[in-house]
Amino acid sequence: MVLGFLLDRIKCPKELKKMTESNSPIVDANCKTTKENMKFSVAEPHDLSPRAKWLRDYYFMGNEREWYNEYMPFTTGAPWGDRIWYEGDFYIVPDVYAFIGVKTKGLYNTSLDLMAQKVKLPKGFWDLSLPERRSTFLQDVMLNYIPQEIISDNDLIAGGQFNTQLSKCLNKKQYKKFEKINLRNRNAIFEYHKNGFGNLGATGGHLIADYKTVVEKGFKYLYKKAKTVYDNLSKQEKQGPKGQELRAMMISAELPRKLAKKYAEECRRLKNEAKSEERKAELEQMAKNLERVPWEPAQTFWQAMQAVWFAHMLIIAEENYPGPGTSFGRIDQFLWKLYEKDVILEKNIERDFAKDIFSTFMFHTNTAYDAQIKVGRQGITSGFGQLMTLSGLGPNKEDVTNELTYMILEVFDEWAPILEPKPNVRLHRGTPERLYEVIIDMITRAQGAPFILNFDERSMAGLVLEGIPEEEVWDYGCVGCLENTMCGNDRSGTVNCNPNLAKSIELILWNGKNMPGFLRPSRKGKQIGPRTGKAENFETWDQFFQAWKKQINFIIKYTVDVYNLTEVTRAEYVPTPYVSILVDDCIDKGVDIRAGPPKYGFITIEGVAFATTVDSLLAIKHYVYDKKEYTIAQIKEAIMNDFQGKKEYKIMRAKLMNKAPKYGNDTDEADALAKEVMKYWAEQTWQYKTPTNYQFRPGMLSWNYWAGNDANYTIATPNGRFARTFLSNAICPTSGADLKGPTAVANSVGVALGGKDTEGNYVNYLPNGASHTISFNPSLLRDKEHREKFKAYIKGYIENGGTSLQINMIDSEMLQDAQTNPENYGNLLVRVTGYNAYFTAIGKELQDEIIARESHNM
Amino acid sequence: MDLNTTKTSKIKSNATSGLVLEIQKLSTEDGPGIRTSVFFKGCPLRCVWCHNPESIPTKPGLQWFSGKCIGCKSCIEACPEGSLTFTDDGVQINREKCTASGECVNACPSTALQLFGKYWELDELFHEIEKDRAYYEKSNGGITISGGEPTMQIDYAVLLLKKCKVHKIATAFDTCGYTTKNNLEKILPYVDLFLYDLKEIDSKKHEDFTGVPNERILENCSWLTKKVKELGKEIWIRTPIIPNYTATEANIRGIAKFIIEELENNIDRWDLLAFNNLASDKYERMDWEWKLKESKLLSKEQMEYFYDIALEEGVKNVNWSGMTKRENEI
Repeated sequence: MVLGFLLDRIKCPKELKKMTESNSPIVDANCKTTKENMKFSVAEPHDLSPRAKWLRDYYFMGNEREWYNEYMPFTTGAPWGDRIWYEGDFYIVPDVYAFIGVKTKGLYNTSLDLMAQKVKLPKGFWDLSLPERRSTFLQDVMLNYIPQEIISDNDLIAGGQFNTQLSKCLNKKQYKKFEKINLRNRNAIFEYHKNGFGNLGATGGHLIADYKTVVEKGFKYLYKKAKTVYDNLSKQEKQGPKGQELRAMMISAELPRKLAKKYAEECRRLKNEAKSEERKAELEQMAKNLERVPWEPAQTFWQAMQAVWFAHMLIIAEENYPGPGTSFGRIDQFLWKLYEKDVILEKNIERDFAKDIFSTFMFHTNTAYDAQIKVGRQGITSGFGQLMTLSGLGPNKEDVTNELTYMILEVFDEWAPILEPKPNVRLHRGTPERLYEVIIDMITRAQGAPFILNFDERSMAGLVLEGIPEEEVWDYGCVGCLENTMCGNDRSGTVNCNPNLAKSIELILWNGKNMPGFLRPSRKGKQIGPRTGKAENFETWDQFFQAWKKQINFIIKYTVDVYNLTEVTRAEYVPTPYVSILVDDCIDKGVDIRAGPPKYGFITIEGVAFATTVDSLLAIKHYVYDKKEYTIAQIKEAIMNDFQGKKEYKIMRAKLMNKAPKYGNDTDEADALAKEVMKYWAEQTWQYKTPTNYQFRPGMLSWNYWAGNDANYTIATPNGRFARTFLSNAICPTSGADLKGPTAVANSVGVALGGKDTEGNYVNYLPNGASHTISFNPSLLRDKEHREKFKAYIKGYIENGGTSLQINMIDSEMLQDAQTNPENYGNLLVRVTGYNAYFTAIGKELQDEIIARESHNM
Repeated sequence: MDLNTTKTSKIKSNATSGLVLEIQKLSTEDGPGIRTSVFFKGCPLRCVWCHNPESIPTKPGLQWFSGKCIGCKSCIEACPEGSLTFTDDGVQINREKCTASGECVNACPSTALQLFGKYWELDELFHEIEKDRAYYEKSNGGITISGGEPTMQIDYAVLLLKKCKVHKIATAFDTCGYTTKNNLEKILPYVDLFLYDLKEIDSKKHEDFTGVPNERILENCSWLTKKVKELGKEIWIRTPIIPNYTATEANIRGIAKFIIEELENNIDRWDLLAFNNLASDKYERMDWEWKLKESKLLSKEQMEYFYDIALEEGVKNVNWSGMTKRENEI
């Protein structure tokens, strides 16, 4: 009877208004006058310690700062030419294609070449193998060319600048060959992309390095391990690739020790200049820390954080890529013992000081983006996904949340909104009430933005499917946005392949012909997929669907084939021996992580436009085969005309959109097909391995491709979507097609992933996991009673939903207000898919899309 | 047409098929936890403030949504009675002629025409309800049968309630109380929580506002509260706070006294529900006049005032909720 009351509006909570005082200086300068008139409140930092406040404010000063972690290019100065920027890392970012060049080196490369500082090469450099040259070069740059700086008196963790762009150290022969192969790869990638199939490329980051071992055993252990393996090689092996790689690994393992020593010296130098006794003591302790870690095992919480930061920053330095998905894993677990000792048992440090250490760590993770600080609105528009996995299950299916989990969440909350790092909180059936309370409290304050909730039971079912043993799977973590991998022994290439599944609809309708959708569809099309027969001639739905399967097979195969070009090139020309020592089994195998898998190695095919594909199939099934109201020929004609020009097209489009079944409404028919499509395409990926012996696996992430590039190259689809408009996002239903509310959406997502088997066990076809974003109206958290209901919704999601959930707690009115008055909303952070972005800094189109998402009232 | 001229006739409903206005998933305002609310059609009351007017007619009713219409006129051709015309103001429905055959709804490509009310087979409806079992279990939620006045389809309601209980889904029943004791007795064994409306304590006023006096409602309430307590079940009283109607000190004190004296303060909760004006467009789509169209929302302070009165009188577990004015509108 009180249906109308559901549409409750809420008012701006007064306590949040008060917090605007502590905002960062830049934002304040712009907004202070208008803030008075704000209709809605946006999360603001609160309760920061003076140190944390300084660090946060300093970070947000952006390019007003005197210090930043800018890109620094370095060259060997080889007369035959040098390759500094490796475009292969960026094939998955179509937005930069314009800078890659067509037949030449392109803008990025040319400018980096010009700016690059020449490094004095040690004697005999060119006689070394490529991995050894790479590790030597990295070492020289980090020790002798990049200054060792402590950022102000507030810094507690050493490790300032690390954004390098390094020569790939190719000798003449390699260089010539590489440039040739690179051009071939580029053409193949561009072709794939321009045909609308998406994008792909072997890229950096996206793994959880073995920071646990760094903390518990130190680089000394890794060095010794590499040495032992090396010493046991035969003479012949020592001269071959294994020996070369292991020698490079040993050089790499010693780099952190040498660098820490230099930083220790800097700390001592600053100590002499320090004004206060307190700071002198801090600097002395920092120097002592650096004399121990990361070479030796950490003995204190502070040392452990220092060790992790060093290990982490050097990955970014080696890969020349600012931390995309280079994630920390279960940091509340592997730092817990030291935290417990220092803060709880022995009380060596105050809890507040431990928070300051963590704050300093947070500050440094954010500086990874300083390289873009001069671009756009302070350059800081969205994060890159250095994730921290928190809470979750332990080895005996027990919950492992601890006081460090809560401390870390507290710091996140106080800093919010901030881009990095991002917490992924693992929830499961046994998650403690206290953790729920903390999370819901944070979601209430920060529009839901800081979190991704990860669901253990569903996630683990997927990881078991890829072969992770039951006794290990509990220890998984998340990289990038939400992608599930194991910690410290796994690289799963989680953003490397991003095929547009919706292309299968074009291919099936036009007998394997691709109909490029950019600007205007070609009437002729281009034969690219298999000839599965004239679609007009399929008499039954089953015939149609069987033929569709062949087209989706083709898309997977095409994706694998093009991807492998980049995989092989990277393996041969861009080894990363430093990263390799940090992922278990690479040392034992004596193989670079880019040349062969560590203990667990996958390349994830992240299917894009799932719901667009499913809804298109549903529309065809419903209107052509079930109701027989339209023929395939009629639908094709309307699509070619983008549903425009004739009244019939308009009517047809309205029907396809509004009256055909749609995935996402918890309806049996639609979701059954969604599940069948999911199972089928996912199974196809398992057929393939890379030449480097990485196994392909399925996932659904689809970053922002669905909203941009892929959408532009895809003609109208039978679900009523116009050409060049957004495709569906990851595993989410098509925007606006889900009309039954958040429980129905969650149920559909769970079913599409496999649901539960007859014995009630979770099934998950996507070991990588799937991105699910849902927007709620803030009124649902207005009081305790409703917060309890929201909590129950999340618990229900654990049972029925997907692998992960991103929550936007946003009032569409508020977003509209933010569009009109962006000056009031500089701090408004929203989830786009797996990443956060400042709402006012993203394009109008994407803004509109976010507003259009169903904002669910509870 | 309006509220007063709509006759209450018997609903074509039987034990296995019922006329349902809407199934609302993740309902959070009709009882504890996460619920699925099933809104039955038909109501013996004509509350001037009714915000679910489409629940009142005992037949499915046609509505046209201008925002969804693409202007294709498919509906005009499809209507067997010729009751639709297309004018500059969009589709016009001749309510005298319209038999709600649903032909235009089928023909409409964009769901601009919708029939409010659909016959649901019991098993089909239960299947829909069962889909959210996980959420009920995590929240101590369940289903709420609401309306309209669901006792108008008593046989169907009993069977649905029974089926939910057999399958261990908790049940709530939202009633205006204007029904027979016999009906209440029929559902009593299968209902865990009653949501019982007490709108206006003065019977004369009650009749003015809702079309019926309140003696029977109050009597049923006393009787039901006793029964509910004997059986260890729950009852919540709900009072819509409507400006110029029920939003008076006398009314709130009166209902509070009734709760304390007649119900022996033995209820589990009393909800004061602030008026909202969101039903305005529903009335327009139904071509009904709505007296409260121009009514303003209450302020937060006004709601707190009534809430304080309720507490002052000594009623336990009082809550208020609903839309109030934004600060800048006061």
